[in-house]
Amino acid sequence: MHRVGIVGAGSISRIHAGAWARLPVELAGWHDVVPEAAVAAAERWGGRAFDSLEDLLAASDIVDVCTNVTAHPEPVLAAAHAGKAIVCEKPLARTVAQCEEILAVCTERQVPLFVAHVVRFFPEFEAARRTVQAGTIGKPGMIRTVRAGGFPRMGGGAAARRYADFEQSGGVIMDVGIHDIDFHRWCMGEVERVFARGLLEAGVPQCDHALLVLRFESGAIGHIEASWAHTPGRTRTHLEIAGDQGLVAWDSRDPASLSWRTRADDMPMAQNALQEADHPYFAELAHFLDCLDTGRELRVTPHDALMAVKVSQAALHSIRTGQPVAIADFRD
Amino acid sequence: MAIRIGLCSLDHLHAMSYLACLAEVSDIELVGIWDDDKKLREATAQRLGTQACASLQDLLDRDLDGVIVCSANARHREHVEAVAPHTPHILCEKPIATSAADGQAMIDVCQAAGAKLQIAFPVRFAPAVAEAKRMLDANRLGRVYSAACTNQGFNPGRWFVDQEQSGGGAVIDHTVHVIDLLRWFWNTEVVEVYAEIGYSFFRPDLDIDDAGLLSFRLANGIYGTLDTSWSRPEGHHSWGNVILELVGSEGILSVDAFRPHLDVTAGTPRRSHWLPWGRSPDHGLIDDFADMIRTGREPSISGHDGLQALRVALAAYESAQTGQPVALDHG
Repeated sequence: MHRVGIVGAGSISRIHAGAWARLPVELAGWHDVVPEAAVAAAERWGGRAFDSLEDLLAASDIVDVCTNVTAHPEPVLAAAHAGKAIVCEKPLARTVAQCEEILAVCTERQVPLFVAHVVRFFPEFEAARRTVQAGTIGKPGMIRTVRAGGFPRMGGGAAARRYADFEQSGGVIMDVGIHDIDFHRWCMGEVERVFARGLLEAGVPQCDHALLVLRFESGAIGHIEASWAHTPGRTRTHLEIAGDQGLVAWDSRDPASLSWRTRADDMPMAQNALQEADHPYFAELAHFLDCLDTGRELRVTPHDALMAVKVSQAALHSIRTGQPVAIADFRD
Repeated sequence: MAIRIGLCSLDHLHAMSYLACLAEVSDIELVGIWDDDKKLREATAQRLGTQACASLQDLLDRDLDGVIVCSANARHREHVEAVAPHTPHILCEKPIATSAADGQAMIDVCQAAGAKLQIAFPVRFAPAVAEAKRMLDANRLGRVYSAACTNQGFNPGRWFVDQEQSGGGAVIDHTVHVIDLLRWFWNTEVVEVYAEIGYSFFRPDLDIDDAGLLSFRLANGIYGTLDTSWSRPEGHHSWGNVILELVGSEGILSVDAFRPHLDVTAGTPRRSHWLPWGRSPDHGLIDDFADMIRTGREPSISGHDGLQALRVALAAYESAQTGQPVALDHG
């Protein structure tokens, strides 16, 4: 049985741990730069708390990197040098150069690298892409997506300060918009250029927002709204892809399969219940394990992860310069 | 070890869906398909890379772990009686039969042969329905007063509109799913049914019931209604629905079992339709059937469940004829 070691015991690691717990793996344990965080996670989810990254690597076959984005390269590179299979949260790294270094080492060491672009495992997004692939809407010409939520407060601690420091986090484009950039590429192919406007340098506290316009190499065009400027609560998503033979669309504001309100709190609640196998964080890790065991190709390749960072960085550059940015020529 | 499954008849629309679901369970082997229609069974078997069997006996001689019976309603008894002595697990399409006597005979023959009989009520596996069951078990609604339900759909045509083969139209077709859910939610029975039934409302060319409204009372005191109508016209954005609106002392709960969906506009001529996303209830049903075979446990939806749901549909027809509520005796 594969032994999984998790690096970084923050919020996303708990979602990963919940998914790993339902898969045929052994949780080896946790490492975090804050040792108490690793101890607490080990108490809650099992496995040991490792004081050093090296000890965690030695006890693991799969290393799952769940640190904040600026702290991705160090454990990913260490795991690659140690010959471990790697899962890394998105984005792969903060800069294109860091991504390229990671890809080079993983290729040289021949280790599998799976970057958890989870939107490819959201069943509604997967179904929309399948509809496009099946030719139902003909040749796709336009894609439009929205991913809108509140500013990440994360309990107000160190994680919140990192998100609020756009130099570190990359703001809403690197954290949220990158989901859509990756999904757009998955459906429409390579991005040729991007033009973006947003609040990156507007100095609005506790807020970020961006509107991206894309041109794909296929000739198709795309629009992304990524927001940390909406009200807190459930993230709103919208998706539509239009082709010369039809249209496929989805909006999270559509009525849900289950809705209720209780007399005690009178709060309307709604959710689209999922079968267990459709839960996206479970599905992505199940897919990774399946690929590891069967040699099938990963749905998200390291190149995909690199390109998602590259287009995101190009969008940030576009906001700063007020100019469209060609992806092929773009450097950090 | 692979689970060896055979399919008895492609009559029912759901057969194609079950075949697609079987293909996604890694330890299931689809051993063969039998159908009266030689051309259909051969084309289907070829498309799925399995054997077309010349007779039902030919299928049953292949050392199967389970058989899925998807014939027209009136032939369920004949087929289950043929399958039970040869095959230890049977998944039979709903309604269990067209008469209570046939349903009881199927239960008896399976019991005598030691075969496990499961009835195909896939809506139990719709995620919203499963979650509603959990919420009800956790008493989130308090005392439930009522359940206003719909299982509306399109007119499926073919043998479904031939009384001899189907046992009835919209009422027998669409009563049993929802009644099964309510019986399951509260481990209860329907004790009284009143029904208004419409014949040839939407298809004047057909002599079959295509509209139905049932008003019922459950043994636990909950009252409810169920619209079973084949009232969705051609060109509608969806085949139909299963919707439950529950009102209780502590809150209200709406279940719309076949949401969520994408909106797709395509085809010639162009039209808009709903495309459900996520694993379908049929996937859940097939997973459950495979799990029963793997683990040797009892069926989660028994022949008795199938019979009790059928009795409510039959009582609805009786009520429509007499104009009186019909009481159901549960001994």
